[in-house]
Amino acid sequence: MERNKKAVVLLGLIEELRVNLSWCGETHIQKATYFLQEMMQVPLGCDFILYKHGPFSFDLADEITAMRADNLLKLQPQPYPYGPSILPGEASKSLMKRFPKTLKKYSHHTALVAEKLGGKKVNELERLATALYVTFENKSSGDVQRAQRIHDLKPHVSIDEALEATKTVDQFTEDSRNIIAA
Amino acid sequence: MAKHFHEIRDPIHVFIRLDSDERKVLDSRPFQRLRYIHQLGLTYLIYPGATHRRFEHSLGVMELAGKVYDIVTEPDNIAHESVRKIVPKHKEYEYRYWRRVLRMAALCHDLGHLPFSHGAEDLFPEAWDHERLTIEIVMSDELKPIWKEIKIQAEDVAKIAVGPKKYKDDAFDDWQAILSEIIVGDAFGVDRMDYLLRDSHHAGVAYGRFDHYRLIDTLRILPMEETDSVEPVLGVEEGGLHSAEALLMARYFMYTQLYFHPVRRIYDIHLKDFLKSWLPNGVFPTTVEDHLRITDNEVIASILETAGNAGTAGYKSAQSIMSRKHFRRIYQRNPEDIAKNPEAAIAIFNAACDQFSAENVRADRYRQKGGSPNFPVYTTDERIISSLAISEVLTRLPVIATDYVFVSPEIRGEAEKWLEQNREAIIEPKEGE
Repeated sequence: MERNKKAVVLLGLIEELRVNLSWCGETHIQKATYFLQEMMQVPLGCDFILYKHGPFSFDLADEITAMRADNLLKLQPQPYPYGPSILPGEASKSLMKRFPKTLKKYSHHTALVAEKLGGKKVNELERLATALYVTFENKSSGDVQRAQRIHDLKPHVSIDEALEATKTVDQFTEDSRNIIAA
Repeated sequence: MAKHFHEIRDPIHVFIRLDSDERKVLDSRPFQRLRYIHQLGLTYLIYPGATHRRFEHSLGVMELAGKVYDIVTEPDNIAHESVRKIVPKHKEYEYRYWRRVLRMAALCHDLGHLPFSHGAEDLFPEAWDHERLTIEIVMSDELKPIWKEIKIQAEDVAKIAVGPKKYKDDAFDDWQAILSEIIVGDAFGVDRMDYLLRDSHHAGVAYGRFDHYRLIDTLRILPMEETDSVEPVLGVEEGGLHSAEALLMARYFMYTQLYFHPVRRIYDIHLKDFLKSWLPNGVFPTTVEDHLRITDNEVIASILETAGNAGTAGYKSAQSIMSRKHFRRIYQRNPEDIAKNPEAAIAIFNAACDQFSAENVRADRYRQKGGSPNFPVYTTDERIISSLAISEVLTRLPVIATDYVFVSPEIRGEAEKWLEQNREAIIEPKEGE
């Protein structure tokens, strides 16, 4: 996807996340973008690997920083002792106005991801994103096998928590089908 | 009696110490090649003192990596139980094994650099970069016998040397992620610490200095507790926060003042133009043997020869470098234009190519890599909080970004006049989809 369009989709996602009361820290945006690209099939071209707090894209981290350089995003400090949020910057509105078709094309995709993930904390997002990663790793695996794999990859996630995460991801996948097919 | 420990004099760290096993890697052909790769490419054409090489930088990275390892694994410096679980027991075999792997990974992290370092990095074939070539060299027959002799796994060295961004064959566990962060980490990687200190020393600019002694002494492995996650990362004790701020400010100043000096950047572009005509198919070879045979020396000899032979391929680029007839900057990124159109420089470059033909125009663009400077800080009242919650300096640190448009010196005056008359119309954003 061309850089401006990609920026517009990310800005749309961040706005939706805010509507759904997300903290919008870097990890929240990373995991929401992972779901947007891999589950909702929005072709953002980010390369995700299993790393900090589950799937992580260095390309996306670079892109977020580049968008900050261009005033499309800004760091918003939060009350002590919390880390900052990443919010649309001064130049974001005019860019979004220039790409209305792109924004509309993916609006249902970003809305669903934000609705499902907006209220989640980092440790919940880590479990869900890792569950999706494991599901794509072996689509024929059952719940128990996937939960075990999550636990092996992230030993601090208990089997029960992992099992719950796989069920949530399966339901999310089910809910996404109509939007992807449209 | 043969010595088992060796010291090398160094202008930054005074002494760099290594043992006889580690020296086998130092004496290998891939590492000795780094004596002939300038750390900062053609920067010495602007800052005459900047003639230092990847060789001494790599030694410095090894020295600092060992120091950081000793600090962060010291039992008294581990405050959190979840961290204690991943750090090998002090002085036991695992502890010694990973210390050696880390130092060797640090020593080898730049083996894949092309002549003139980053200057010609775009001339790798598709899907290649210097990190991938570093992995190939570490795993090659040139070095494998040494790893076997000194009893460490080549895969471990390669993995830690390039980090998770570039090593795709295997996932990193928490301990391996920390070790690679010590070398290539976004906030506290010793690669960056050494190059800032060394480059500023040799270039003769003070911007890159910071109190690395204090910073290293206060580095800690910490969970990012504010995010409710136990996954550990490199952080700092509150007492070292100012030296961490100084490091990140040094990076900002060095990038804006030295690494992205416009004349330095256009020399890189002329070098690339020359190499495109000089290399078979316009790209560097990627076999280990071919890579080891080519250094700055071969390239600079060829540039010299070409600059004296009008009509040969690459003549104009060679002349631009040797006779200082480099292209001149007519445009650089500025806040006013960015507010109107973040892609203003691209619009000006495209319009200038249409107006003056592409061969007379060049563009350069860079945006800072990595995330925001968010790392855990261990406070004096034993809490772990985000650096961005406690440091106003870090929240206000600008993102490094440059855009330049250059033109051939013959058309500079005409191009400047043209830009003055047409600038507003050119940067007016076009409707997208």
